[in-house]
Amino acid sequence: MSKEETPEKKKKGFSRRKFLKNTGIVIGGGSLLLYFGRHKLRTFAAGFIADMDLPSGVSNFDPDFWFEIMEDNTILFKSPKVEMGQGIFTGFAMLAAEELEVAIEQIKVVPGSSVNSANDMAGTGGSGSTHSLYVSIREVAATMREMLRMAAADYWKVPLEDIRAENGMLLKGSESMSYADIVKNTEQWKTPKTPDLKLASSFKYVGTERKRIDLKPKVMGDAIFAIDTEIPDMLYAVVQYPEYIGGKLKSVDSSEAESTNGVIRVIREDNWVAVVAKNRYAAEMGKKALKLEWDVEKTWQQQDIDELVKVGNGRTVKLQDKGSASSVIKDDDIEVIHQEYRTSLGVHAQLEPNGVIADVKEDKAVIIMGTQAISFVKRAVSKAINMSSGKIEIRNSFLGGGFGRRYFKFNAPEAARISQILGKPVQVFRDRESEFTDGYFRPSSHHELKAVLNDDGTVKAISHTQATGDMGIKLAAGKMGMNIMGADFISAGHGAKFLYDFPNKKAYVEHIDMPIPTGIWRGVGMFPNGFAVETFIDELARKANTDPIEFRLKHLYSDDPIVKRMKNIIEILRDRSGWNTPAPEGVGRGFACGEDRKTVAAAAVEVQKIDGQIRVTKVTHIVDPGLVINPDGVRQQVEGCIMMGISASMYEGTYVKDGQMTATNYHQYPMASLMDTPEIEVIMVEGSAKPSGVGEPPIAPMAPAIGNAIFDLTGERQRKLPFQLT
Amino acid sequence: MNISFKINGKAVTVDTDPMTPLLWVVRDELSLKGTKYGCGKALCGACSLHVDGELYRSCSLPVKYAENKNVTTIEGLSENENELHPVQQAWMDINVPQCGYCQPGFMMAAAKLIEEIPEPTDQDIKENISNICRCGTHPRIIKAVKKAAQLKQSQKVQSDE
Ligand code: FES
Ligand code: FES
Repeated sequence: MSKEETPEKKKKGFSRRKFLKNTGIVIGGGSLLLYFGRHKLRTFAAGFIADMDLPSGVSNFDPDFWFEIMEDNTILFKSPKVEMGQGIFTGFAMLAAEELEVAIEQIKVVPGSSVNSANDMAGTGGSGSTHSLYVSIREVAATMREMLRMAAADYWKVPLEDIRAENGMLLKGSESMSYADIVKNTEQWKTPKTPDLKLASSFKYVGTERKRIDLKPKVMGDAIFAIDTEIPDMLYAVVQYPEYIGGKLKSVDSSEAESTNGVIRVIREDNWVAVVAKNRYAAEMGKKALKLEWDVEKTWQQQDIDELVKVGNGRTVKLQDKGSASSVIKDDDIEVIHQEYRTSLGVHAQLEPNGVIADVKEDKAVIIMGTQAISFVKRAVSKAINMSSGKIEIRNSFLGGGFGRRYFKFNAPEAARISQILGKPVQVFRDRESEFTDGYFRPSSHHELKAVLNDDGTVKAISHTQATGDMGIKLAAGKMGMNIMGADFISAGHGAKFLYDFPNKKAYVEHIDMPIPTGIWRGVGMFPNGFAVETFIDELARKANTDPIEFRLKHLYSDDPIVKRMKNIIEILRDRSGWNTPAPEGVGRGFACGEDRKTVAAAAVEVQKIDGQIRVTKVTHIVDPGLVINPDGVRQQVEGCIMMGISASMYEGTYVKDGQMTATNYHQYPMASLMDTPEIEVIMVEGSAKPSGVGEPPIAPMAPAIGNAIFDLTGERQRKLPFQLT
Repeated sequence: MNISFKINGKAVTVDTDPMTPLLWVVRDELSLKGTKYGCGKALCGACSLHVDGELYRSCSLPVKYAENKNVTTIEGLSENENELHPVQQAWMDINVPQCGYCQPGFMMAAAKLIEEIPEPTDQDIKENISNICRCGTHPRIIKAVKKAAQLKQSQKVQSDE
């Protein structure tokens, strides 16, 4: 499909007042000078548009500094979204370079801090960064380019038309000046109306294969993650959180811990105990020597969790209701196909454990960490140390994986409290055991699917009810927000609805109050829902004696743009994956698809039994995320989703035993390794002129496609995640 | 207790508990942050480094075992920035990392592997490197190890000539 050649809808433009106000450059007449005067490098910033789409969460409350032109003519891009492996810095640099008229190598992207960059209220996640900032970044960059041109026109005293911006230089005939030079020579800045953006056909970078801009430091071993940061006189601390579900700290015997070599102090706060030491080893040894007692109201077992997380036990919210699914399915004379599916509790297992450095002084606190949600951290720290949030600076780093773990679960409040109590900077780090046992887990889920088929094997009516724990609403909106909304349909509901053109269809999400803190995990509801729904569709196809791909195509016929894109990728995948050729002996084939956040994805999977063990041997994956900014960046995300999908569906699960989580480290939480790497082909289709997310949607088809392939191979239907393989 | 060894060619002496895992000495005493902590139990390989040319998971190796030995970390794998070790060069060529956190460990394991098995097959790589990557860079790691082996071979041919 071709990219549409429509210019971006023109924004009202940055009014001069608003633009300067939003950049924080001007507060009253003299501040522009003051600002530039204060900063030797004469940074200037382009700010944010007042009427921007909400989903990016980037707001314009505080000084919003996006770009800084450095003396060596490189441009510092302070990203409001964080790099956790998803390649966002590379994509952002490409978008900015496009309008700034600089070589991409000239742009250096760094994570913005809570005081020096655009304020990000929503955090990095939901596969929304590129999608939500695609236009804004280019508008800000184009505006800055125009400001530079206008300044150059004034400098040379020629009309604006005589000034060109190319490759980081401003040109007037044969004369030239670098961007940095013009910044040095400019006292008064003018702002233009929002300039027209380049048409897709004249993109230089967008759509080209680009290596990651963070590649070299990550290969040389000098990329700095939060856990790698050091500040002078820093102490080390580890925190013991409740060892049992719902545990309340009853007594602490810290005498042995305190006499451990190198331990400085043991701190007890409401429901945790920290051991502070002069180095990490001492802190860990001290933690091992703690003798703690916990009050536990109920000793939870896995069976209790399974009984609790069950359709019928929670508050229900309707997500979809078309036609009269209920009455068709209720009709006693009709055969109803009915299946149940379950998914286990899961952990993020991101490779870098959370580490936070806190330096809390009388009237200022600095927090250095890797977080997906600066604004949540700020709020939590402000509360923990009783300091107004204006005095708190959160600095972000590279994240050693996110997957949702770093949205809500962090140890910043603890770190800040410890630093406040000691009056010293401290690094609080989680050991792997604490990462594995201290929430927020991917909640377990239970799904009930029902359907009635017509005589011709098409679907007459279908319904899906998903019961699961909280994924984000309670955390983001509080208990009250939760009560208003009833269930977490925003996060948990991803993938619960039916995209197919079934005449009667219905979908519900049921909220279960789980005793364990649960949260978001790559794809949120998409992962469990995709598994349940697409496995059920496969079962219906078998029942109707129809090829699973044909069965799906039969039910994708409306004019809905997403339906059309889905149909398109399924047809391409069918042909490219060799689906219609006979499978070799000993090979099982499975297919599934999914739509999430306007990105459609599908996978055709082959499995084989090798040395008695079922392995995924081939994956052909197709994704249509609309406009592709960086094909290799998308490919990396798809590969990541394929591997994480294999891992989570074949192996991953943590369970409850005697009030504790069974997985405490990687050996008790088996994951995919190099051994599990299949042959992979990634196909990209651009079915829209706008980009949509790629960090999560490609995981949607993985679990069901593998399960369906296993059924094809063994005849055993997989209705539980992880799969129950013998 | 004072313990001396060489790290990336440089002689160092640290005053520490001899049971301290080498990982923490390298990271926190010597400030070489490329070697990562992932699990602390020799399960993930993020902390992999070389001691006298052998591959170790340094989270589980007390520093006393490094005494008087040569330790090489990711920072010392290449001679210099312009002449990359074949593994690092291959990692650049294949654009391997995502979050990057597991990568130093994988590269240290890969460097050892191509010394032992100069022309590794996919199966050799799969069976001999058991590190963990959560971002799913596995397919690229396999490609990059093979590429590194080729680069190494051609370097050898060149230096033999
Ligand atoms: S940290 Fe050493 S193997 Fe994981
Ligand atoms: S690149 Fe992130 S864990 Fe491997």
